[in-house]
Order: sequence, then structure tokens, then C-alpha cells
Amino acid sequence: MPSPSRNGSTKAGDWRTYERVLLPSIRNLHRFDVYVKHGGYKALRAVLTHTKKWAPGNVIEAVKASGLRGRGGAGFPTGLKWSFMPPVDPGTPRYIACNGDESEPGTFKDRQLMEYNPHLIFEGILIAAWAMQIDATYLYIRGEYADWIRHMEYELGKLYTEGYVGQRIMGTDFSSEIIIHKGAGAYICGEETSLLESVEGKRAYPRIKPPFPAQKGLWGRPTTVNNVETLACAPLIINRGAEWFAGIGPEKHPGPVLYGMSGHVERPGVYEYPTGMLITDLIEEVAGGMRGGKKLKAIVPGGASVPVLRADMIDGVTMDTESLREAGSMMGTAGMLVMDEDTDMVKFLRRVTRFYHHESCGQCTPCREGTGWIENLVTRIDEGEGTLRDLDILLELCDQMEGRTVCALADAAAWPVRNTIQRFREEFEAKCRQSIYAMA
Amino acid sequence: MRSFSSAPLIRSWEKPTNNPAVSDFIKHPVVPLPDQSPEPVFFEEDLVFTDAEKEQIEAFRAQYPTPEGAVMKTLWLAQEKFGFLPPEVIHLVADTLDIPFSLAYGVATFYTQYYKAKKGAYVLDVCTCFSCQLCGGYDMLHYLEEKLGVREGETTEDGLFTIQGVECLGACGTAPMLQVTNGSYVHNLSREKMDALIEALKNGDMPPFVSVTLPQDEDALDGNRRSDVDATDTGRTPPIAETLE
Ligand SMILES: Cc1cc2nc3c(=O)[nH]c(=O)nc-3n(C[C@H](O)[C@H](O)[C@H](O)COP(=O)(O)O)c2cc1C
Ligand code: SF4
Ligand code: FES
Repeated sequence: MPSPSRNGSTKAGDWRTYERVLLPSIRNLHRFDVYVKHGGYKALRAVLTHTKKWAPGNVIEAVKASGLRGRGGAGFPTGLKWSFMPPVDPGTPRYIACNGDESEPGTFKDRQLMEYNPHLIFEGILIAAWAMQIDATYLYIRGEYADWIRHMEYELGKLYTEGYVGQRIMGTDFSSEIIIHKGAGAYICGEETSLLESVEGKRAYPRIKPPFPAQKGLWGRPTTVNNVETLACAPLIINRGAEWFAGIGPEKHPGPVLYGMSGHVERPGVYEYPTGMLITDLIEEVAGGMRGGKKLKAIVPGGASVPVLRADMIDGVTMDTESLREAGSMMGTAGMLVMDEDTDMVKFLRRVTRFYHHESCGQCTPCREGTGWIENLVTRIDEGEGTLRDLDILLELCDQMEGRTVCALADAAAWPVRNTIQRFREEFEAKCRQSIYAMA
Repeated sequence: MRSFSSAPLIRSWEKPTNNPAVSDFIKHPVVPLPDQSPEPVFFEEDLVFTDAEKEQIEAFRAQYPTPEGAVMKTLWLAQEKFGFLPPEVIHLVADTLDIPFSLAYGVATFYTQYYKAKKGAYVLDVCTCFSCQLCGGYDMLHYLEEKLGVREGETTEDGLFTIQGVECLGACGTAPMLQVTNGSYVHNLSREKMDALIEALKNGDMPPFVSVTLPQDEDALDGNRRSDVDATDTGRTPPIAETLE
């Protein structure tokens, strides 16, 4: 028997008996016929046939009431985002850009969803398309996922032959297309406006906001950008009701979440549980504890962009926006990296800074130059040639980058640096002191 | 009124100059410029799309309101056909879509998966990012370098393998891992697995699609839930990192 969690109850409720809904344990659920046999496309049919009960505005209200927040990293309330779309203008096409770029280091949940339950994504897209009266959805999948794109295209082809997408869906008056767009290897394409540029067939330089995509998105038309997992929640909300969804996990950030556990744990992988899981539960019980019985040193709760937490900072902290903010981090993509006592935090940070330097699109000077300088400085410290002053220069560089750029990549690059140095300062100082240039 | 001369426009850098310093600067710019018109690799007569490919490209075009939208898919198609994208292939793509060359070239050079130079028959993209770094990604990369006798970014002499260290590929639960030529993922790498992979690739066998078991399915479904995939992998035993970098 697993032991009870440290402080008795969690916001996630009785998670041990939690029944999976995003990735339920049904064999071959990725196939159209199996999905339909297990109640698939029931939500879509309900919405499209009971057009009074499920008028577009009512669907949006239901999503608002469910409390669903975006799973792509920013955690923006989804229903609210949908309501930003301007009223329908018959001459202007409207789009959804579904974000399956998933390049945030430490995140691999969308890929598992595409592999095991692609039709939930398609159904979610079509429900969102109805709610916002969308003409076409561009489903952006990163180019590395070539195999999964193939699978998704195969299943999408079946949907077209069954008449579940395209013209006059299920024989109703509603028409909406889904087009899969294959990326080609650029982290920045996950940023919503950069993704739009990429779909338009340009170099993926993020756009200045405002105007927001809801006003001027794809080809200047109203567009909503949502993560794959976010949209996959829509059929669940229609089928089981907004109250059911809102009742899972903590009140302010409810719903099922795919946690991606990686790093030094016994059983890494994607797990579906409610939001608000205790981090300690996730590591100790869900992921089977630390590998080789080592001690925990640090975790990164939601992808490389969010601040790292020391082992002594996670007691009682749960995986939801509020609790993680109090602890000094963020929910991000819920892709959690676990590090054991042997991890060298300087080397860790060095690799993270290399990532951002490589992926900066180069549009803004603070980001293009800053990420490069940060990498150089951290590398210098790691190579034993740093000085204590370098640490201050690094923190100053972060100040110069944050909030001064077109998109949030510069902030995402600065936060790990700032927080890793602040939270593991002794380690950085030790390396600087050993350095050949050490001052006294 | 001023009238415009009809003389051909001469750009300042094309004007003959007598100042040795200036002409020297033009010949040797501070920042090395890329070779703007390299020797073409492909013969003119090979630079065509077949009717089937043209039809495919038309289908891509129909998916977007503008021809530019189809450029990424067409570049993918061209890369699969020609192996990589030298300028003349990008020209072909641009001409087929009837868009400016500069636009297609700009797109091709923005994304890392479009190969601008010739690579080995198999490109081994070893992930060394984040989770893979912690679980031995660099060990795997160095092992490959030793085994094949080339450094990261280089191609073996027989033209078979190119090794690259890449950013997170979205399979962190099965770290360390690699991808073969923008295609199959190989999960939970170990030295033995890599030896077997190299042998298989030498025989021309691409690794099959491998499905990663969800840990919760192992409990609930006793193994993998997908019956159309024979090869499955669990995320249990990644090797411990010896080196982080
Ligand atoms: C640099 C950067 C990279 C991002 N990468 C991704 C990504 O790979 N996948 C994703 O879903 N969202 C990503 N986002 C977040 C998106 O901009 C956007 O907030 C999200 O797709 C909105 O969907 P949601 O409301 O459903 O979360 C990224 C943001 C930034 C600033
Ligand atoms: S912040 Fe960085 S990634 Fe974002 S637009 Fe500017 S240069 Fe590009
Ligand atoms: S870090 Fe290697 S796949 Fe994500």
C-alpha cells in the first residue's frame, strides 16, 4: 500500500482512485471505430444537433464555467480567450491555430495524446470551431513528430470520409476544415504569433502584440491559438458538464492534466492526474521515487522556462498556478524534470542557456545578444574561468532582457538564469572561487 | 523638372573604385558572407517535379489562402526528393509555387530541419537537452563520436552517417534518445542499442516506429494499448549519466 501523502489530503482529492479521461485505458483508442464505440464524437453530435441548447455562446459559457486554463504554458482561461473573438462577419474567414509545437524542453505530453487519443483532439477542435464559428483550423505539429503527423493524417483522412469534418459535418449545416501543418524545427514556432507566421509560410518571427490574434491572426483574420491538450478537454466538458470538470482538483485551476515526469526518477513518463497534485506525491509515488535511491536536489516543475525549485522548497507545494506562484515558480507545461543530488547545476544551467541562444529568433537585440552573452558567461564559469563578478553581470543581463522584447522567449531565457543562480549561489560561487582568475 | 536618366542602375558596391582600401573591404568583408551562388549540385534536367509531385503541391496550395502557405510543405517534399536544399532546389520550389525566391530561401534557412548542405545518408540527431543531458545524452553522443570516428556536426567518410547534438525532441520520458534523419525515434538509448542501430542502418534498415508505453497503462492494460505497433518501449531504465557535458 502506498503511504498517505505527507500532509494528509491534497487539493487533487483522492487521486489514487482517479479515473483517466484524456488517456483512458482502452485498447486501440487511436482508431476511429474504437473511439466511436466508446462514446467518441457524442459531444460533437450533441453540440451540432441541439443547436439551441448548445448555441455557440452557451458552449463558450460552459468552457468558462469549467474553469479550464490553457495547457500550453501561460495558463490563460480558455473560455475567456474564446470570448475575445469578434462577432461573426460573413465575409471574413475565422481560424483556430492549434498549437502542437511542443518544443519546450521537458515537455512530451502532446505527443502521447497524439499517439493514443488523436480523435479527442479532433473532436475538441471541432467543438471549439462550433463555439467560435470557425472556418478552418490549422493544427501545427512540430516537424520532428513526422511519425505522429503521419498517424494523425491517416485518422484525419478517415474523419473526412466519414463526414465528421469538412463540408456539412454529420449532415448538419456546419462546415469546418482541419489542416495539419508540419513545422520544421524551431522552438519559437510554439509562441502563438510566431506560429501564425509559420503557418502563413514565412520566417517565424513573433509579432508585436497588440493586435492580438483574436483581432488580427492568420492572414489578418480573427484567430484563436490553443494548445492541443487544452482543446482535448472540450469534449469532456460537453459530455460530463462544466461542474464535473470544475470539481476536479483545485478550484482556481481545475481539470485533468498530463504530467510529464522525466529526469532522475524510477518510472518516467506521461501520467494523467488532476491538477493540484503534491509535487512530493508525483515524485515519490507516481513516478516511483528517485532513481537508485538517491536524494532529491531540485525540480523544474513545468518545462525549461519556469524557475527551478530546490528540494527544500517543495514541501506541501501542489501543481497549480496559485501554489506554484507562492513557491516561486510556475505551472508551465507540467513537464517536470527531477534532479538528484549528483546534478551539477552549473552544467545544467549551461545547457539551458545554450538552448535559448540556439532558439532565439534574432529579432530583438536584448534577446539575440543577451542569450549569447549569458551562454558565454555561464560557459566561462563552468570551464573554471569565471569570476564572482560574472554572477552579477549575469543577473544584470537578465534585467536588461526581461520585458524588453517582442515575445516572451527572452523572459523565459532570463528566469532560469536568475533563479538558478539565486537558488544555488554557493555552487556557482564555488566554481568561480576555484577559477584561475579568482579574486581573493 | 528633373528627369530620370535611363542609364542602368549601378549599385554603389558595383562601381569601380580606385581606392584600394575600399575595394579591399568589398573583397574581404568583416563578416564572411555566405557563398551566394555556389556551384549547382544538381543538373538542370534533374530539377523538375514529376506530375504526381506537382499534383501533391497543388493539393498543398489548396489548403492555404495564399501560395506562400504551402512553402513549408513543398520544401519538405523537395528535401525528401533531393536529400537537401541547395539554392537551385529552393529556386525550383519558389518557381513551382510562383513566389519570390527570397521568400522561399528565407523560410528554408530559418528552420533547422531543412538541410542546407548535404548530409550523410543517415543523420543521427542525439538529444542532449535538459532531461537527456541529465540521463546521459552526452555520453551517448560521445560514444557515437568515438564509434564512428567523427565529431558532432560531421559526416563519416563513407557518407553514411552525420552526427548532430540537438535540442529537446519531445521524448524526455525515454531519455536519452535520438532521431534518425527527421524520422524514427529511438528511445532509452544504451551503448548496446546504439551498436545494434548502427549495424541495422548499415544494412539499410530504418528503425521501426516504437510506441512508448504509458506507465499507467502498464498497470491497467498490462503492456501497450496499441495493437498495431509491435515494438514498444517502457521508460524504466535509462543509463545514469557519466558526464553532463
Ligand atoms: C517562447 C515560447 C514558446 C512556446 N511554446 C509553446 C509550445 O511549444 N506549445 C504550446 O502549446 N504553447 C507554447 N507557448 C505558449 C503559446 O504562446 C500560447 O500561449 C499557447 O499556445 C496558448 O494555448 P493555451 O491557452 O491553450 O495554453 C510558447 C510560448 C512562448 C513565449
Ligand atoms: S524575444 Fe527573442 S525570440 Fe522573441 S521575438 Fe525577440 S529575438 Fe525573437
Ligand atoms: S530533453 Fe531530450 S527529448 Fe526532451
